[in-house]
Amino acid sequence: MHADVVVVGGGVIGNAAAFYCARAGMSVILVEQQDILNGTSSACDTAIHLQSKSPGVHLAMALNSIKKYPVLQKEFDIDIHFKITGTMLAIQREEQLEVMKSFAARQQAAGLNVSLLDTVQTIAKQPAMKGAELVGSTYCDQDATIHPQNLTKAYYFGAMKYGAKYLLHTVIRSFRIEDNCLTGVDTDQGMISCRWVVNAGGVFAPFIGKMMGLDIPIVPRRGQILVTEPVPKLTNTIVNCAKYIAAKFRPDLLGNSVEDQLGIGLSLTQTERGNLLLGGTREFVGYNTKTTRQAMVLIARHGTAIIPALKQINIIRSFAGLRPYTPDSLPIISTVPELKGLVVAAGHEGDGLALSAVTGEMVSEIIAGQPVSSGIDLSQLSLARFSREDIDRFYRKYAVA
Amino acid sequence: MKAEDLQEEIIICRCQEVTKAEVQQAIGQGCRSLKGIKNRTEAMMGLCQGRTCRRLIERMLAPYQQQAPVTPSYRPPVRTLSLHTLAEAKEDGEDAC
Repeated sequence: MHADVVVVGGGVIGNAAAFYCARAGMSVILVEQQDILNGTSSACDTAIHLQSKSPGVHLAMALNSIKKYPVLQKEFDIDIHFKITGTMLAIQREEQLEVMKSFAARQQAAGLNVSLLDTVQTIAKQPAMKGAELVGSTYCDQDATIHPQNLTKAYYFGAMKYGAKYLLHTVIRSFRIEDNCLTGVDTDQGMISCRWVVNAGGVFAPFIGKMMGLDIPIVPRRGQILVTEPVPKLTNTIVNCAKYIAAKFRPDLLGNSVEDQLGIGLSLTQTERGNLLLGGTREFVGYNTKTTRQAMVLIARHGTAIIPALKQINIIRSFAGLRPYTPDSLPIISTVPELKGLVVAAGHEGDGLALSAVTGEMVSEIIAGQPVSSGIDLSQLSLARFSREDIDRFYRKYAVA
Repeated sequence: MKAEDLQEEIIICRCQEVTKAEVQQAIGQGCRSLKGIKNRTEAMMGLCQGRTCRRLIERMLAPYQQQAPVTPSYRPPVRTLSLHTLAEAKEDGEDAC
């Protein structure tokens, strides 16, 4: 077998990379050990957050990507349920107000329509929050929701339409490296000679890296989510809380309570069927995908405190996904000077849906040797931004026995 | 009656209204696991969480699985549970959930 590009990993990032590369005229084979959507990309909520992105390259990527979905929808055969809903970030305590004001001000400066609402304005916009103890909220009208499985499937079917081939349930035995150049992928379905390999392995990207002698600093961060029965429209927006932002970006600032250690932060979205997805946690527990009673109770307690209308709604399931976490919470989208023919596209943590389109486009442009049309500064996403020392410290800190 | 004898358009997953033909189409696309069927068809993801259709779909997949399939885990809750009851439950107790 031969392909210009072998993409490793069948999640949203791998499929987006396969789609953009195939559309640009490259021959593509995607190799996946299980089925598409086996990991993180099917164990998440539906949010495309802008308000949860830190101003800078992170927000710039999200803003670029979110513009692409309505255009892609016209091309896709599958409905990706893309909808601009806005996000409300509930602020429960006075001491969070100042932090959120400065976070909002930085986002406004970066071009986001974020406004600060008082309690009355908040409840007027979100009647389901009536009765909650709040000091206010921040609101942004640009955030959106999307159907995670359908987005990945849309890339998958789209890539195949442009001629991409998929080797599912296929195990990679080794990579062929000649003169510091990747030239092939040996699988249990046979050898694929290629010019490029895209490591889109998400939380498994480090294992793929190891097979090439590379250390990729990504660790899994577990997120637990509750699913409710379908109900009539309960929320007009995505709802998060100030603690969600703290848990995402500054886990070191969180306290020592059980809630803080589990990284409990509210995230609420509603699917088109009406199911509510209520989260969540951010926990470093290795590759453990179990849901825990403790987290389920605390998610329910935190969620019903901010949105009292949730109390009478039933949950039908819980699930957990592993988010690929990097030392600086930015993805790694990078070539590697010491190994030609490799592009790493992994480490998007909980932002894979939001950033998949711009990531796929950048991967195809890097491979084609073109400048990236999004204008994103690739040096900030390079693997080389982490020193040997950074990587060792990171693995020591998050090593799970 | 065996699952494979049922007509193509028969509903396999009642909650999500997924037909036998849709499950077969997913298998035809290379899907070999229950999780894959869920992601591709949304079967087993409704109110009853696969109580009936999971066994039927396992039987449809069986001829295509070369090794013993990895059985997905069951996750809580066992039956629907209000968020109020869950929020009031002890974090480490044996009550309610």
